[in-house]
Amino acid sequence: MAPKLPPHHPVEQSTSATAGGQASAHHAPPRGILRWLLTTNHKEIGSLYLIFSLIMFFIGGIFALVVRAELFQPGLQLVNPEFFNQMTTMHGLIMVFAAVMPAFTGLANWMIPLQIGAPDMALPRLNNFSFWLLPVAFLLLLSTLLMPGGGPNFGWTFYAPLSTTYAPPSTTFFILSLHIAGISSILGAINIVATIINMRAPGMRMMDMPLFVWTWLITAFLLIAVMPVLAGVITMMLMDINFGTHFFNAAGGGDPVLFQHLFWFFGHPEVYIMILPAFGIVSAIIPTFARKRLFGYASMVYATASIAILSFLVWAHHMFVVGLPLAAELFFMYTTMIIAVPTGVKVFNWITTLFRGSITFEPPMLFALAFVVLFTIGGFSGLMLAIAPADFQYHDTYFVVAHFHYVLVPGAVFAIMAGVYYWLPKWTGHYPNVKLAQWHFWLSVIGVNLTFFPMHFAGLAGMPRRIPDYALQFADFNLVSSLGAFMFGASQLVFVAVVILCVRGGEKAPAKAWEGAEDLEWSVPSPAPLHTFETPPTFQRHEH
Amino acid sequence: MWGVIKSVLAAFFGVQKEQQRREDFKQGRPMAFIVVGLVMGLIFVVGVAALAISVAR
Amino acid sequence: MRTPFVWMVGCLIGLGSMPAAVASGWNMPVGVTDLSREIHSLHMIIFWICVIIGVVVFGVMFYSLFKFRRSRGAEAANFHENTTVEVLWTAIPLLILVGMAVPATATLKKMYDASDAELDVMIIGQQWRWRYEYLGEEVAFNSSMSTPRAQIRGEESRDEHYLLEVDNPLVLPINRKVRFLMTSDDVIHSWWVPDFAVKQDTIPGFVNENWVRINEPGIYRGQCAELCGMDHGFMPIVVHAMEEEDFEVWLAERREEAEQEAMGVDREWALDELMERGETVYASICASCHQAEGQGAAPAFPALAGNQRLIDDADWHLNTILNGVSGTAMPAFRSTLNPVELAAVTTWTRNAWGNDTGDAIQPAAVVEKLANQ
Repeated sequence: MAPKLPPHHPVEQSTSATAGGQASAHHAPPRGILRWLLTTNHKEIGSLYLIFSLIMFFIGGIFALVVRAELFQPGLQLVNPEFFNQMTTMHGLIMVFAAVMPAFTGLANWMIPLQIGAPDMALPRLNNFSFWLLPVAFLLLLSTLLMPGGGPNFGWTFYAPLSTTYAPPSTTFFILSLHIAGISSILGAINIVATIINMRAPGMRMMDMPLFVWTWLITAFLLIAVMPVLAGVITMMLMDINFGTHFFNAAGGGDPVLFQHLFWFFGHPEVYIMILPAFGIVSAIIPTFARKRLFGYASMVYATASIAILSFLVWAHHMFVVGLPLAAELFFMYTTMIIAVPTGVKVFNWITTLFRGSITFEPPMLFALAFVVLFTIGGFSGLMLAIAPADFQYHDTYFVVAHFHYVLVPGAVFAIMAGVYYWLPKWTGHYPNVKLAQWHFWLSVIGVNLTFFPMHFAGLAGMPRRIPDYALQFADFNLVSSLGAFMFGASQLVFVAVVILCVRGGEKAPAKAWEGAEDLEWSVPSPAPLHTFETPPTFQRHEH
Repeated sequence: MWGVIKSVLAAFFGVQKEQQRREDFKQGRPMAFIVVGLVMGLIFVVGVAALAISVAR
Repeated sequence: MRTPFVWMVGCLIGLGSMPAAVASGWNMPVGVTDLSREIHSLHMIIFWICVIIGVVVFGVMFYSLFKFRRSRGAEAANFHENTTVEVLWTAIPLLILVGMAVPATATLKKMYDASDAELDVMIIGQQWRWRYEYLGEEVAFNSSMSTPRAQIRGEESRDEHYLLEVDNPLVLPINRKVRFLMTSDDVIHSWWVPDFAVKQDTIPGFVNENWVRINEPGIYRGQCAELCGMDHGFMPIVVHAMEEEDFEVWLAERREEAEQEAMGVDREWALDELMERGETVYASICASCHQAEGQGAAPAFPALAGNQRLIDDADWHLNTILNGVSGTAMPAFRSTLNPVELAAVTTWTRNAWGNDTGDAIQPAAVVEKLANQ
């Protein structure tokens, strides 16, 4: 879809034009595709990230629908097991690395400068580079599907030695593409940290920052800390595959369990990378539509930080059945259970913000409320999974699939959609169509629950994950899941329609598009001009 | 010093009185909080590990 | 804005009532061991704790959404902090978690105590079957899925235990502590029988330990739980738990069979005999990759039917089966299959599907080759 963005006001030319006639031609902004290739503007790059992630969301979604279609009934009807494994793997990789993460980075690009009163990101050219790495990385990844032997087929967790000794030849390309995506994430994170630390409006202290900025600051540190670990582990795989090392090859004295420790040392913080910015978005939306200040701002910041720190201490709860020593099982069980406390605090704060507010149900609020309820359900199943002895039954079943889809789909994805509905008036100058947005919301909520709730039962009843065919007692659950998945997938077309219509026109939005909204982004006109806050705003602190 | 430890403990627990928080931020010297925070973080990890090891025995 | 609200309440009631339907087949099985019962009760306790917390939290939330709507004229209050409630809602969950951690720790300690086992069974994961070795008993066999591929493709009607049936089930005595030693020959698998609450990864280069003491005789089914490649969905586990006396009889029979088999190595086998045996071995071991008609599945699994190198070079052919091909999915079968089976399956693949070499590879020749390597 062709985004129609705010007209490219030649603001920076106003000074150079006076300097000399010829120089202005040199500085004229490039048009057409070059404009997008060369842009260093945080709003344009933000839009690129968001459009990219939307496209990838659909590609990853199609892969998921292939999986769900095959699982619609027992037997193998549509695809063979090898292709099925490629679909589950690619679905996970694309959704995690190409849909959810870039969507949050896109929102960060658009909103962090606006929320802290900065004219742009701190490192605009780096920003351009980190975006344009992504299409390269994921075209490379998608191209592996066409290579002999097929694409990655070892699950998004790519456990060795299935992903090394026994992997298809395309695995080297998979490693390269993850490297590129990882570099993009690290550069993006560095940029966000630099922006938040250095470019806040005069008078805005850290504890005055909107929570979306706070959560992203913490997320960026997580990214900088763990993406190199991922890079390390995939480099070790690369060496095992191509250069005859035996890091993960038991026959050569290597250690397959080491792979899992390294992967999950990256992987668990990665899970929080995908949810902390969501907390920030919801913490902006709920106070706006409850017309009441966020309850417990400071404890929200503390809770985000605790979750981030604890995320480095829990990785082996993904490995309860690999045969860890008893003391290790206990350590990781205890630390994992502790995470429930700060997460609970967040939910309580949101609900107390609602309490005695003056609540309305605009589309962003609908998604934010659904987030609170459904993310909490995902949190409950997470707590159950933390109980190590019970995890011996839950592990690697559809119960786990249900759990992480509840925190990622009605969790992270709903929060992204809530954010998009919330900020669309700022981006386009128009309100999204309310009726269509409500259709999108209700179809999504019903679809998501039909898809993922029965998976709890399938898992408890004994269905392992990542199987292309299943025993007959799981047939009903899978039938409902598949129907729900197609419903959820179709409802996202409504979302695309809402976004396109909103870009094209609709009810005009004023600068402060929502009456309860407080942060700095609502002080600039809607649509936000290409360049904002060229003179820093004066920050007005809430009076306590 | 005791005040710093109390504030760090409060941050670990996640609840702090607004007044005390303002008091802490007035100092403008974060180093003490960072050092105490790191030390207590280490104590927390070692504590949980010690608990796990002693229970496992 | 009344409609969304009604919908929302409807959804909540719907969601809330679903877990109440904990009929069998919807919930974790109670199982047939003391530990599986304990784990089931842990699961139910934590589940109900979650339900209660959920009812309270969502109750307050939906009450607020109903009571404090602007359409009902609600005015926003102006409070945003309260140290007392914040301390309470941090401390109470912490206490609940400590309360939960205590029984969980106790159960975990029992699960980790594999001492004083009366029988040791080695479980070896292989792409895509299980191998069971009764240590010290000279009894070992492979256990592959027995559901015909025609049922998977939908050409035949599916029977009751579709995908959960094997050719040789693991047989265990009840009321005896059986220790499992678990490892893998290739990638990571995970041996899981829900009724025992035993799930343990089998990892190449590691030997994991777990144990079971079954309380009731019966047939218990499970599946591989860790993604292990193409046929991950097709490596079920079936355990036949019998009374102790029956188990002893079974074990003795198996031991005798193994002795007979060992004697068979020395005699001359006819082509027909080898072919008959080879066909069974091929179906159980080879067909998942090289396919029922030997047509293979390019590019990972080469065709055997009409494979010129295989037809021309019997020595290379046998060598490949014995030692595998390093860097590919072809494992070494020298210790998985006995000499008779190795000879039979080599003979079968040299003569089936129009390969027609007429070669009969003798078990004795295999023994000799194994001894020389």
